[in-house]
Amino acid sequence: MDFRTISPQTTEELLEAIKQNQGKHFRFGAGYTDLIPELEMQMENGLIVINLAKLKDSNFTSIFLSEDGIRIGALTTMTDVLSNKHLQKFPVLIEAVESFASVQIRSVATVGGNLCTASPAGDVSCALVALGAVSEILIANGQIRTVPLTEFFTGVKTTVLKKNELLRSVLIPHQKSAERILSGFIKIGNRNSMEIALASLAYHITTDKNGIITSAGTAVGSVAETIRYTESACEFLLGKNMDQLSEEDKETFADNVLKYANPISDIRASAWYRHQVLWNISKSIL
Amino acid sequence: MNYNIIGKRIPKIDAGDRVSGKSVFGYDIELPGMLHGAILRTKYPSAIIKSIDISKAKKLAGVECVITADNVDTENLNFRKDHPVLKKGEVNCIRDEIAAVAAVSKEIAEKALELIEVTYVERTGIFDPLEALKKDAPQINKFSKGDNGNKNISEAFHYEHGDLAEEKKKSACIITRQYVLPKVTPTCLSPSSITANYSTVDDELTLYSSTQVPFLYQREISQVLKMDPSKIRVIQPIIGGGFGTKLDIHPFEPICALLSIKTGKPVQILFSRKEEFIHSAIRQSMVIDLTTGADKNGKFTFREVKIIKDNGAYTSWGVKTSFVIMQTFSSLYQVPACVYDADAVYTNNVFAGSIRGFGNPQATFALERNIDLMAEELGMDRAEIRLINANFPGEISGQGLEYHSCGHKPALEAVIKHSGYFTRNKKNNQGRYKRGIGLASMLHVGGGAKIYPSDGCGTTLKLDTYGYLTIITGSSEIGQGSETVLAMMAAEELGIDLKKIKVINTDTNVKPWDVGVHASRTSFVAGNSVLGALKKLKEKLSDKAAQLLNTSLEDLVFENGTIRSEKTGNSFKIDKIVRELHFKPPHELCEVSYYYEPSSEFQDKNFKGNVSSCYAFAAQAVEVEVDTLTGKVDVLHVYVGQDVGKVLNPLGLEGQIEGGVVMGLGYALSEEMIFENGYLRNFSFHDYKVPTARDIPEIHFYPIETHEKTGPYGAKGMAEAPLVPTAAAIANAVSNILGVEINSLPITPENVLKAISNKQSDQG
Ligand SMILES: Cc1cc2nc3c(=O)[nH]c(=O)nc-3n(C[C@H](O)[C@H](O)[C@H](O)COP(=O)(O)OP(=O)(O)OC[C@H]3O[C@@H](n4cnc5c(N)ncnc54)[C@H](O)[C@@H]3O)c2cc1C
Repeated sequence: MDFRTISPQTTEELLEAIKQNQGKHFRFGAGYTDLIPELEMQMENGLIVINLAKLKDSNFTSIFLSEDGIRIGALTTMTDVLSNKHLQKFPVLIEAVESFASVQIRSVATVGGNLCTASPAGDVSCALVALGAVSEILIANGQIRTVPLTEFFTGVKTTVLKKNELLRSVLIPHQKSAERILSGFIKIGNRNSMEIALASLAYHITTDKNGIITSAGTAVGSVAETIRYTESACEFLLGKNMDQLSEEDKETFADNVLKYANPISDIRASAWYRHQVLWNISKSIL
Repeated sequence: MNYNIIGKRIPKIDAGDRVSGKSVFGYDIELPGMLHGAILRTKYPSAIIKSIDISKAKKLAGVECVITADNVDTENLNFRKDHPVLKKGEVNCIRDEIAAVAAVSKEIAEKALELIEVTYVERTGIFDPLEALKKDAPQINKFSKGDNGNKNISEAFHYEHGDLAEEKKKSACIITRQYVLPKVTPTCLSPSSITANYSTVDDELTLYSSTQVPFLYQREISQVLKMDPSKIRVIQPIIGGGFGTKLDIHPFEPICALLSIKTGKPVQILFSRKEEFIHSAIRQSMVIDLTTGADKNGKFTFREVKIIKDNGAYTSWGVKTSFVIMQTFSSLYQVPACVYDADAVYTNNVFAGSIRGFGNPQATFALERNIDLMAEELGMDRAEIRLINANFPGEISGQGLEYHSCGHKPALEAVIKHSGYFTRNKKNNQGRYKRGIGLASMLHVGGGAKIYPSDGCGTTLKLDTYGYLTIITGSSEIGQGSETVLAMMAAEELGIDLKKIKVINTDTNVKPWDVGVHASRTSFVAGNSVLGALKKLKEKLSDKAAQLLNTSLEDLVFENGTIRSEKTGNSFKIDKIVRELHFKPPHELCEVSYYYEPSSEFQDKNFKGNVSSCYAFAAQAVEVEVDTLTGKVDVLHVYVGQDVGKVLNPLGLEGQIEGGVVMGLGYALSEEMIFENGYLRNFSFHDYKVPTARDIPEIHFYPIETHEKTGPYGAKGMAEAPLVPTAAAIANAVSNILGVEINSLPITPENVLKAISNKQSDQG
């Protein structure tokens, strides 16, 4: 494996590196847990890697509370997420990280890498989609544009990012104050760690004091070309009383989740199984 | 009997080197002027080779040698001599080696492979043994003699005892099922490697090889390369896992030797992880058709077994698994009649090897599933049916296996009791998560296995003038901890500190003969050999000590590095006695040699006979929880009762038990090599799923000590056993909990959910 690396330490150096290399073939590298295995399978000739790991910009590297929500820098690692106190109120995110790879991989794999790799099996990405998070994209001219994560993924391994752009951070907007939260992440796999989801379900649902569902975010992974926000399932729940959902309601919810699933059969599991298990777990969360 | 060292928890003597990175593995070897070898393998699992053009590869700068079948002179390899080192004219499985290169760097060697031009005419391969058995199927292996009734049967085994028809009549219940077992690989942590160093000066070939059977290896390599065996020196670097993968010679080994012979330089071949997945030995897949019967009281009456094994394109030692499988069907639990047939069938799949357990996990799976089904049909408890049929001390099985010691029943009783089988298993199981306990037993050789002209092991001991002992043993260490046990025996017998004992076991130029590390035999066979040698050494020392202490031989005690007279309390340090022998008349070294041959017998042509000195028995109870929404099976507890004869080193023993159970767990739940038309689809740890730390249940171990009279201190072989019954017990648990039949492996969430869904559609 042979490539040249550029390691910018400041945002200025970073933007300069992007501008300088527009005509060349370059990739970003953060924790390298996707990039290196990918290049090992297929090396790209004349590749330049713009190494983000040395970057000192706190917009990229930290998690902080701001007026509009909680901002997670693209370079924060899974371990950072797990230990951050602001993020504990999102069990969906914490559980996604806990289900992620192993302690070793979690300590280097970044949130930004998970999003930008755009795998339909990205666990943290799936949780962030359920939370209605918004991507904050840095353009080579120094400007920021924002795209909701529901629109971030355009296909297997592809995103809205252009060649002169990179992900700086994601914002989880402040949520309405909630009486109760039903939030979690279910990852289906053959073993308990080091697993690529065969199917996954991220959910974050809140109610008021009467049990009425005031917000609902659910997303599915590994059952379509991209992670998908299951909008109609969410809409179905809004306004219903969480404690009075009938068996039929639960099944309608699961049916709605399944509308976003178009799974394939591969060596890991059949489409039948992905379908069936997704329906079962969707029904089970309510 | 009280021991000072035996039975104590002793860390492995090589543990420090292993954890501090000092151990030298095959991958670490680097010789001056060494070249790097690479192998061109076939593109297709079945094809005619029209031509091979190596001219461009030879011209590449840095390439020193390119070989094909056309420019080497070799005999065929392996058990049936049906495996050419380099393939000519045709290829028959995806591993097939067509050409090899030695170059000054790995990169250049690999580049050269790309320059070799091969023209193939692809053929339709045969990947299903049943297809291969059809009349109009082509002969897959052209070296097959077809002497087993079909051109594509590599080996056929037939065995029987008792009166089948009579026993069928007595049967109140007869169960017939088919069991399908997958191919799995042991994923040795250290991938395969070899470094060959041929000397053009004296025609000696040194092989740094991770073989488990150095002396058989030396002999076979000599046949393949048409060399004098004694010109071949095998040095075993630290072996990072064997599990049976290193019982057979694989073509890359003679290929590396040929490259070294041709260039006169050292050559090294290292497997990548992907190569290790595709090209190293695997556990065989098989289909087992089993019919078993029991009378109305639940006493077993007969077994009728028909097995089709996927041999793959060539025949390895793995074909001999039929032996061990036969033993389980003929002799695990008391059974008056058994008829057994097993055919190993050539296909265009990768050829099977023989992995820890040697066919026994497959056999035990089928048998123990049928036992559960018989219990169910008879309305008997699943523990009860096992207890009343358990093997017993003094039993001679239908096949002629002699159980002078037998802990089968105590092992079953231990796991039934400790798992709370009778109390916990009856819990109400209504919700999403259902729990239950499954049982299975196993029988395995415990005192070697006489399948080669000798099943023995030699030992040389050297006690130096400083009181340090060197044990030179023929046996090999592949991580199982036998070095430590041998050193413990010497420390025990001579009363010297363990730190004063060194074990040498890696060089065929130095060590005495041994058949190899397999069949759970090393502590037993090499242990008995060391004990025999120690006895001779002690006699030598005692004669001198008695003379120096002016006392009788019976009065002497070996302890704390001295030999003491019990009567007078006077003593001499051992090193002093060695010096007395060495530097004064009679001027002798304190060195002895001993060869131990187990008391077992060869089986006759009907496979009858007592093939091992003793037998190991075990039972496992496994508590599982099934998530009925996802199909995921979580194993919560594994209770292991095992007749080990005598616990020699509890720490090493527990390590083997836990490692075995984990291997059995992977076999049960998640491991499977997925082949499509002869190509392996999952060749990484990503897609081939070995259990991770978070999948490991609590493992509870109850050693049963039966004090085997032929064993060292009463011990038996134990290391394969813990893996054998695990998958069977898990499948039994899951089947019973859900009211379904799990008759194949692995028990993935998908397979479980499918079983639940099939049951629901049957009922609804
Ligand atoms: C053993 C193993 C287990 C794994 N298990 C899981 C798992 O359980 N769940 C899961 O979801 N994933 C898993 N992964 C995948 C991987 O770890 C994650 O996707 C991880 O989050 C990637 O982050 P990274 O920092 O390593 O990305 P990198 O490998 O550095 O980059 C990944 C991709 O994103 C691009 N990129 C990175 N940062 C940016 C940025 N700021 N802006 C624009 N592009 C960027 C890179 O160019 C590259 O294409 C596993 C990987 C391995 C090797």
